[in-house]
Amino acid sequence: MSDKTGVLTKEASGPAPVAKPASGSYLVEVSLKPDFTDAEGLSAQWLLQCAGLPAHAVRVGRLYDLRGPLNLGHVHVAVRELLCDCVTQEFRICHSAGTAPHNGCLWRVEVWLKPTVTDIVGESVCEALRDLGMPQVAVRCGMSYHIAGKCGRNQLDKAVARSLANPIVHHFSLNEAH
Amino acid sequence: MPTPTAALPQTPETVAFRSLHPQDLKTLNARHGWSLNLAELVAIQAHFQTLKREPTLAELETLAQTWSEHCKHKTFTSPIRYNDGKKTRLIKSLIEETIFKATKQLNRPWCLSVFKDNAGIVAFGPKWALAFKVETHNHPSAIEPYGGAETGVGGVIRDVMGAGLGAKPVLNTDVFCFAPPDYDGPLPEGALHPRRVLNGVVSGVRDYGNRMGIPTAGGGLWFDPDYRLNPLVFCGTVGLLPVWAVRKEVKAGDLIVAAGGRTGRDGLHGATFSSAALEGAQLSAVQIGHALNEKKLLDALLIARDKKLYRGVTDCGAGGFSSAIGELAAECGARVRLEAARLKVSDLAPWEIWLSESQERMVFAVPPRSLKAFAEAFASEACETAVLGEFTSTGRLEVTHGGTSVVDLDMRFLHDGLPRQERSAVWASQKPAPSKAPTHKKSLAQILEECLGHLNVCSREWIVRQYDHEVQGGTVIKPLQGIRHDGPGDACVIWPHAATGNPSDHQGFAVSHGLNPAYGKIDPYRMALACADEALRNLLCVGADISRAAFLDNFCWASPDDPAQLGALVRAAEGCRDAALGFGVPFISGKDSLFNQTRDVSGKDLAIPGTLLISALAPVADIRKALTMDIKGPGNALYLVGWTAEELGGSLFHQICGRCAGGKEVRPAGTSGTSIAAGASCTAPAVDTRTALATFKAVQAALAKGLVLSAHDLSDGGLGVAAAEMCFTGEFGASLDLDEVPRRAPIYSDEVLLFSESASRILFEVSPEQEAAFLKALRGVPAKRVGTTVANPVLKVAGLDGRIALESALCDLKSAWQLSLPRRLG
Repeated sequence: MSDKTGVLTKEASGPAPVAKPASGSYLVEVSLKPDFTDAEGLSAQWLLQCAGLPAHAVRVGRLYDLRGPLNLGHVHVAVRELLCDCVTQEFRICHSAGTAPHNGCLWRVEVWLKPTVTDIVGESVCEALRDLGMPQVAVRCGMSYHIAGKCGRNQLDKAVARSLANPIVHHFSLNEAH
Repeated sequence: MPTPTAALPQTPETVAFRSLHPQDLKTLNARHGWSLNLAELVAIQAHFQTLKREPTLAELETLAQTWSEHCKHKTFTSPIRYNDGKKTRLIKSLIEETIFKATKQLNRPWCLSVFKDNAGIVAFGPKWALAFKVETHNHPSAIEPYGGAETGVGGVIRDVMGAGLGAKPVLNTDVFCFAPPDYDGPLPEGALHPRRVLNGVVSGVRDYGNRMGIPTAGGGLWFDPDYRLNPLVFCGTVGLLPVWAVRKEVKAGDLIVAAGGRTGRDGLHGATFSSAALEGAQLSAVQIGHALNEKKLLDALLIARDKKLYRGVTDCGAGGFSSAIGELAAECGARVRLEAARLKVSDLAPWEIWLSESQERMVFAVPPRSLKAFAEAFASEACETAVLGEFTSTGRLEVTHGGTSVVDLDMRFLHDGLPRQERSAVWASQKPAPSKAPTHKKSLAQILEECLGHLNVCSREWIVRQYDHEVQGGTVIKPLQGIRHDGPGDACVIWPHAATGNPSDHQGFAVSHGLNPAYGKIDPYRMALACADEALRNLLCVGADISRAAFLDNFCWASPDDPAQLGALVRAAEGCRDAALGFGVPFISGKDSLFNQTRDVSGKDLAIPGTLLISALAPVADIRKALTMDIKGPGNALYLVGWTAEELGGSLFHQICGRCAGGKEVRPAGTSGTSIAAGASCTAPAVDTRTALATFKAVQAALAKGLVLSAHDLSDGGLGVAAAEMCFTGEFGASLDLDEVPRRAPIYSDEVLLFSESASRILFEVSPEQEAAFLKALRGVPAKRVGTTVANPVLKVAGLDGRIALESALCDLKSAWQLSLPRRLG
């Protein structure tokens, strides 16, 4: 995904905001609340270390790229009813596919299946949203990794290609977090 | 969701083929990745010259798929001129003269379908049958381990769903061969590290099996650095079906109905790679499985099967619709209209629809009167169907798109037109390695700990715990056993009551595996026999009825164009034949994966070790009497059944202490106490099937009478490893006396007695009250009491000189066994 910005909300619970006109494209990021041990993050950290990257800490998030005649109200319903367990997880909703600064992380990596690869989780989310009475949308799913560790872009690029992404089926982006 | 279809009828792409020069044929073949040889290309050329027209691309692709090694098993069915080092003879068809021959000769009435359906099918009681299939998915798993393994599991599950009129999967198995996860040698550009392959493959098998609700309860793992560029992934499935559903037939007039997932540009092989029009064409070779779609397809299939709404079914595997419809229509003919297929994307060319390997699709032969009910049954499970055409009696495969002919081939040419190419094979037995004095000064305790921590022996709990082996509630003997549910097991035992719906029927079945490529490096013939022997003993140890056992073979080999490789393959196939005949156990299904070699960093071809997996299936009359391998209490006798000989070739002992040879025992200076097996024979273990079978029958009778508390087969690491595993799994110690080990020829080495890997041996725990009856049951069989179980958690071994040669705390032994894989994984 290309660099994009525009965080709209970040919250774990509370009433949904007033729906804005449909803009057609939202990125939802769901991750564990900081209080919980992130087992996937530990696993990713180990994989990166095996690939030669001395990552101090990794937090993992799930990305959902929703495209279609949606408004923010729809997206909040989708997140609360389907994509996020608000007891253990928190979420952020961005306009379009965005990468935003993430406190305490030096790097943010997004890994997505290439458009030509069938995204079965995305298909399942589509069906579930339809069952929730939502308008028909296209959904692609990806992973985000917030990586703390001193490394250069080239080093990280190589390590991610060897551990968190397979360039045969994935494309990924690296962004320095502020 | 609307169905995208190809917008307009497209003119099929024809290929100027008839007048091509042989060199141009080869160039075209390479460009499209058809993997046809020149004789095959010339045969196709001659066929179309007779027809006086050019072939379409779809026709050439169909022929390439149908004539591929994957579909036609050309190496196993073509003539081979074989030199065994003494004389040369012609093998007309390796498969016919070895594996098929044994099965035909044994002619077991309970073998209901062998080598002709998608899976082998055997009877399971009067009402039911079991379908069993094991397949490999090696190349996709090397490129994209997660997706490759997922689709491997999905494919073999569909094979069982397409066996007979469809079986309900009740067990998944997985066997992997990888390079060590801490491999630190060079890898060529683009090759994934073995650790990553291991992680991805395990995740793929886990996610697909778990999401389908099928227990993954059996398997194995083998490490060898020579698998670093060609990992092997064997996926197996056992399914249950009623006996009436074993036979399938297709009648002219039946409708061709596709069900399940939609057709996309997934898994197109050669032609796709060459298509400049497709962005990221390489991706299409990789498929991502969709377990939930397959689950819906399975549930719908079972509803339709039980309502008898179709007459035939098969899955779309390699070649997609082309091979599925081509196989079902082989005896009659088919007319297919591709525009009726449900598509993922609208821009597919007709040949792409025809050859796509999109996952989770099956093809049915549905009588027209049943179509409405059939479609309703599938719709009730949210599963899409599409009528693609009908079966005919023309003997032709006729495929159109929008009224335009895409494929028009004679079924006889398609299925019987393949020219057979004779290959050369040479087998030269290895000369003994030069004799050298061993340098190791390890104690028996150190060697035993290293054996237990060896990657090919150590605990697989890290993998097993990721799989759901309990789903369906019928896993009686689980992959991890013992008082803490973390010890090894010999075989899994499944009680398919959820599938039969009859909890008062206590019949179950056991599945085991035999695999040891290290023996194959010395002699593939002995490897085959040893694998069959081990698989049978594993079944025996859990209480299965081996008189009703059935084998499956899976050969993974390097290029058969190399006469030495093919010679080894012939040796292994002959070993399979002799094992089947010797043990009276038929092969019911099999598969081969050849050309497993890739250029390494030095530019040379790195071939995998010749690998044969023998999987075995047998009924367990009463699952309540199934046996586990952990020691059950103190004060019980330990009996070793079977002869021990100096057979350390390919053994763990040689891998740990260095390979030694020469035939004479060497005692290096400075060693005392235990003798050193320096001169121990480097031959791989031999199997005397006659003695072994007599032993197994006696053992089975003893087990049936309930005379045994626990049983464990001796394989890698021999008696030492087997005894240690039984002890730490049950948390009782044992005292062994090596002087009591049954042997025909004198053995003067504690190491040989403790670590020899002679075949056909089992260690039993027998209570004092049952000893007399046990010995009576085993009269005439090589069996001796070699020790006693004790409460003290220590394994103690007395050497030939009467002194204690080994004394190890069980916690140390278990730690060595348990911590090895996690440590190597980092």
